[in-house]
Amino acid sequence: MDDAAPLAPASDDQIRDEVAGWLKANWDPSVLTSAQAGRGEAYRAWIAKVVEARWAAPRWPVEWFGRGLSNEQARIVEREFARVGAPGTGQDRTQLYANTLLAKGTEALKAKLIGPILRGEIVMCLLYSEPGAGSDLAGVRTRAELDGDHYVVNGQKVWTSTAATADYGMLIARTNWDVPKHQGLSFFFLPMKQPGVEVRPLRQITDESHFNEVFLTDAIVPAENLLGELGQGWSVLQTALAYERSVMGEGARGPRSGVAEAAGEEPLIALAREAGVLADPMLRQDIARVIAYKKLNALNTARAKADLAQGTSSPVMSLGKLAMSRILHEEARLRTAILGAASLLEGPDHPRAEDANFLTLNAYFTSIGGGTDQIQRNIIGERVLGLPKEPEVDRDVPFREVRGG
Amino acid sequence: MATISADERGALRDSVRRLLADHSAEADVRRAMETEAGYDAELWRRLAEMGLAGLVIEEDFGGAGAGPLELELVMEEAGAALLCSPLLASGVLAAELLRALGDEEAKTRLLPGIAAGTAIATVALTGDAGTWTPEGVAVTAAGGPGDWRLEGVASYVMHGQNADVLLVLANASDGLGVFEVDPAAAGVAIAALPTFDHTLRLARISFEGAPASKLKAAGPVWDAVQQALNLALVGLSGEQAGGARRVLDFTVDYAKARIQFGRAIGSFQAIKHMASDLLLESESAISAARNAARALAEDAPDAEAAISLAAFACAEAFSLTTATSIQMHGGIAFTWAHPAHLYLRRARADAQLFGPPAYYRERYIQQLGG
Repeated sequence: MDDAAPLAPASDDQIRDEVAGWLKANWDPSVLTSAQAGRGEAYRAWIAKVVEARWAAPRWPVEWFGRGLSNEQARIVEREFARVGAPGTGQDRTQLYANTLLAKGTEALKAKLIGPILRGEIVMCLLYSEPGAGSDLAGVRTRAELDGDHYVVNGQKVWTSTAATADYGMLIARTNWDVPKHQGLSFFFLPMKQPGVEVRPLRQITDESHFNEVFLTDAIVPAENLLGELGQGWSVLQTALAYERSVMGEGARGPRSGVAEAAGEEPLIALAREAGVLADPMLRQDIARVIAYKKLNALNTARAKADLAQGTSSPVMSLGKLAMSRILHEEARLRTAILGAASLLEGPDHPRAEDANFLTLNAYFTSIGGGTDQIQRNIIGERVLGLPKEPEVDRDVPFREVRGG
Repeated sequence: MATISADERGALRDSVRRLLADHSAEADVRRAMETEAGYDAELWRRLAEMGLAGLVIEEDFGGAGAGPLELELVMEEAGAALLCSPLLASGVLAAELLRALGDEEAKTRLLPGIAAGTAIATVALTGDAGTWTPEGVAVTAAGGPGDWRLEGVASYVMHGQNADVLLVLANASDGLGVFEVDPAAAGVAIAALPTFDHTLRLARISFEGAPASKLKAAGPVWDAVQQALNLALVGLSGEQAGGARRVLDFTVDYAKARIQFGRAIGSFQAIKHMASDLLLESESAISAARNAARALAEDAPDAEAAISLAAFACAEAFSLTTATSIQMHGGIAFTWAHPAHLYLRRARADAQLFGPPAYYRERYIQQLGG
């Protein structure tokens, strides 16, 4: 944004008044209730308006659509938006792609893409994992080679959602094979709509297809689309992953049937009541145990947030993903136990079985996706408890000599 | 109740931690657990001086006037240090029962001594069945005002052998009552029970025509008992959570220091993953215990459920952490000289003291409407 004028520092009350006044003048709840809610023209226009008014990323500097607000003041903005149910703010906290680009992108790329990303005009995807590089992401073998003013990319990526519609993918690729694995990586914004990019949907164990394989064959990336320095891709990736982790855990999906159990009651108690097994003393113990897992996770999260608000970091924050894995797998097991033979069935006539069976499979989305539970335990052990790392046999070896497979 | 700020709570935690570091180190605990009384009278005097014996007793009766939040945090430190003391029996369970019953004469007479730590009181509730419900009461009272006599058995009475005052639950013809009994009276036979947790003192008490005086109750007697149990459960949850976290800490320290195969054993994922799982358990226990304390302090509608949750979650977290700790240490923790088994013993005791985890899980699902 080149027309940025510095904004005068404002008090909390001034911020609150300004954002509330702006919302009163501009927010129209029908944006969310119109037929095309979520992706429609009215929604897009609203988001663009929020960006224009500098409410989309108020923590960001004024030259990049922001207001340079403190975290506390930005929370005031978010609370005011939430109060009226308006979307679009808080992107400086949640917009993975825009945050990564702002932090590491070239001026040219920022000028070209930050606005459209904030406005939701372009779709992004992640080109991280490969068939040969899952937990060991630094072992990627997709190669990017400089050729004049652009890089030529060859390789295969996997677990890419929204790849079919994406305009750009955040790509981690190897640009130097003669240094140890973490040092030879670079990070790019790869244009997806080009002949060298082929997207094939993956069929999941849930029989859904949320992810794709992406085949890169002589795909082209302009040199200005490099984020960070050449060979510094691992550090850019850590920046991006930090944003991703900060919004994870909010998105885990529960049962999918959408057929509500009795309102107001704990769903597992309602399910057992409906199935006629609520009197079973062993199931009662099991139900109490699984409800407790959920409640304890909520209490841990609340405690971590309170600690964070006081400026102290909490070891509890890192435990949420592990806790969520257990909750999902245990709830799936328990729902199956409650249903008994009914869990043999599937389809729309058997919504309770659908719930239990879907959850049984989709629980792995959380216990494998975004780093397996086992990797998460390593991270907790090493970063929170300070235990030493496993020796890494490939750490100081030129990547060319490292075993793959 | 006195208003206590977050800063004051932090200071309270620090001073308790310092005192226990100096006077309830492992060697002190081992010394205390080998004594007949099971606690160090000098340390108990110091704790009383700090106001901890009467922490939750009202200021009018010589107490500190604190509430569940302060009790929970003190008990976290007590659990971490394996403190041997009659605090839970006397200053919490018995004192809160007196408060809940609301017999002003008895409060005025008994609470100041309890708060000063000069008198040890305890509650005799359950019989040989060991169930902490009205059905568990196995003492009966006959006679009437001025001449009550007790018959029967109370067991698992915390510090019964050390008590100066016994508050005995007994069934009379007009229902359940709380009776004050002089432990030295004729017809009272107190036998110390051999406990698996050597830092704990339990007694079995037989009553054969024992003279007793009935305490007045402002409301239903069991409600008062439940109120006292609720506060004691908050304290116990804090002890379990603090104990679990301390055990994890010294286990992780050992995993960093112990070298096998040329590496610290904590670098092996087999050990690291156990430690990570225990962090989830012990931090969840801390969350549960503090949540129960908060809910009770606020008299929240979900307080009883929060206490049930803490009761079983903290019990199982402490039990699992202590058990896993021994496995993670290996041979060294199979020796008497290593402290891990002392915590395991405490964890197993705490998990039964007011009823087992399964009992509180059942109570929890009922409280949630199931």
